[in-house]
Amino acid sequence: MKRRVLTLLAAISLAALVLGGCANKEVVKSEEAVVPKAAESSVAAPAKAEAKAESAKPVETAASLDPTGAKQAAKAAAPVADSSLETVYFYFDKSDLRQDARNVLSKNAEVLLKAKPNAKIQIEGHCDERGSSEYNLALGDRRAKSSLQYLITLGVKADRLSTISYGKEKPAVQGNDEAAWAKNRRAEFVAK
Amino acid sequence: MRIYIFLLIFLVFPVTVFAQNGYVEVTAPGNHLLKLAVDAPVSFDATPNPVSAREISDVLVFDINMSGIAAAEGRDQLPPQSVTTLADTDLNPWKNGGYDLLIRSAYSIKGEELTVELRLFDVQNSNLMVAKRYLGRTGELRRFVHTFADEVLLDITGTKGCFTSRIAYVTAQSGNKEIAVMDWDGHIPLPLTKNGSINMNPDFAPDGREIIFTSYKRGNPDLYRRALSNTAEIPLSSRNGLNITGTWSPDGGKIALALSKDGDAEIYTIAKDGTNPIRLTISQALEVYPAWSPDGKQIAFVSDRLGKPQIFIMDADGGNVRRLTTSGSYNVNPRWSPKGDRIAYTRSMGGFQIFTIRADGSGDTQLTSEGNNENPSWSPDGRFITFSSKRGNGQGLYVMRADGSGQTRVSQGKGSYSQPAWSRN
Repeated sequence: MKRRVLTLLAAISLAALVLGGCANKEVVKSEEAVVPKAAESSVAAPAKAEAKAESAKPVETAASLDPTGAKQAAKAAAPVADSSLETVYFYFDKSDLRQDARNVLSKNAEVLLKAKPNAKIQIEGHCDERGSSEYNLALGDRRAKSSLQYLITLGVKADRLSTISYGKEKPAVQGNDEAAWAKNRRAEFVAK
Repeated sequence: MRIYIFLLIFLVFPVTVFAQNGYVEVTAPGNHLLKLAVDAPVSFDATPNPVSAREISDVLVFDINMSGIAAAEGRDQLPPQSVTTLADTDLNPWKNGGYDLLIRSAYSIKGEELTVELRLFDVQNSNLMVAKRYLGRTGELRRFVHTFADEVLLDITGTKGCFTSRIAYVTAQSGNKEIAVMDWDGHIPLPLTKNGSINMNPDFAPDGREIIFTSYKRGNPDLYRRALSNTAEIPLSSRNGLNITGTWSPDGGKIALALSKDGDAEIYTIAKDGTNPIRLTISQALEVYPAWSPDGKQIAFVSDRLGKPQIFIMDADGGNVRRLTTSGSYNVNPRWSPKGDRIAYTRSMGGFQIFTIRADGSGDTQLTSEGNNENPSWSPDGRFITFSSKRGNGQGLYVMRADGSGQTRVSQGKGSYSQPAWSRN
């Protein structure tokens, strides 16, 4: 069962690699069918717009998005994010990998394959503050796992990777606006 | 109920069944709101104890007012009466004062020994309705008075109150997230976990003696079980990935929870000792937050299989899945009422608000509108819903009637409180 899911996810990830940003159209479509309320879309829309604008920019922009705040927060916690591995960011209520996320993961995979071939990494999935705590734990879990699957697709051995979700329990930065939320919807890479 | 409490029932007259006298629950529109006076408690002892007297009065007024059966107020004696007249209280001054009901009480405190005697009178018909005497320790004062308030509700409405029940919750006062319990009215907070980690989603066992909760104390979000009388935290489910939103089945035999050991978070049941996981949901989506129906035959849960989180119901074996919530694009935190008729949940609509909906999907009703409100949990008698709310200062725990009226902050002081779970007895 697990194998099949892994294979399936790997296949999806590969398809995503080939098709660029189009891989998760299915998910988005079904979501829109369930969003009849104007109130809700006014919440989600700016998030999406902003996030899309980010991902449209070159990868360097996504990297510069990585806020010093995030690193400080990570330092305060017991495990320290591996500074050679960049953080990956997500759209609101999504766990599929944006183009900038795939680029970051490719770089991270290269580090793990060449510079640090023995490092064991735990991928931490995080969410912004807007979802419910419990749903966000599951969403963070899925973000960490989609990052993990992509690294495996790129050749990193599965036994070097593990995941954990913190939901919205450990925000990288404080704040109640899209700038803060965008920095908190992330997967971090922590040396085990 | 502890064994050393004696509960002596003083049946001076056969108590009339008040509910049949035309008194009905006052939450229905158009009904006359009963006026209830809480007479200043008197002391059996030579030296009165004003603090205890005040506490008796405050507990009665709070419980009765929250119940909505009457408007209660603490009053000085009309006229001042001695202890010896408790049995044959002159009701005429109260009748003239416009009251329908009167509670008189007396207490004695000798060292650690406490005696409390309470009486409920039907002022208009000059009847003694309920009379009780409680003997125990001084620390049990509030509980004795809550117990009497339970009896008052039983007598007037035919359904006992829930005022001796407790609420477990998460407190971030220490900077971490720890589990604690308190009386339903926010008094007598009792810290449970002290592990300095993230602890979440407490849920009471049906007998009220144990809780389960998720903790990161060993790194992974694992499910633990702990007796309230004990500090031992027993790991129940430490499976790879999430072990979250655990909730006891009504008969206490099983626990439903979300596990992500096989990929996305899915709903499982495990035995109460943590063994024998049975997967109930199979989907490409994520599923969390199971909620048992009171007969244990169905489970409501959150799934984003349609793209956004919505609440679904399935049979307890995982079959017959159907969608419950069809309005709103983000519905989470289902909790089934003890009567089984309604399901409370949280909707995200810009902020979070509490709703209830009938189990058949009809009667969707918004109960809160001020601030951000999450994690509804029913009182054991179904009269109330507790929830966490960000309104004004910080995040507190609130209680409201099941129709949304009487929203009252019960958590004490400042600080951040969340994820309240009402005990089931």
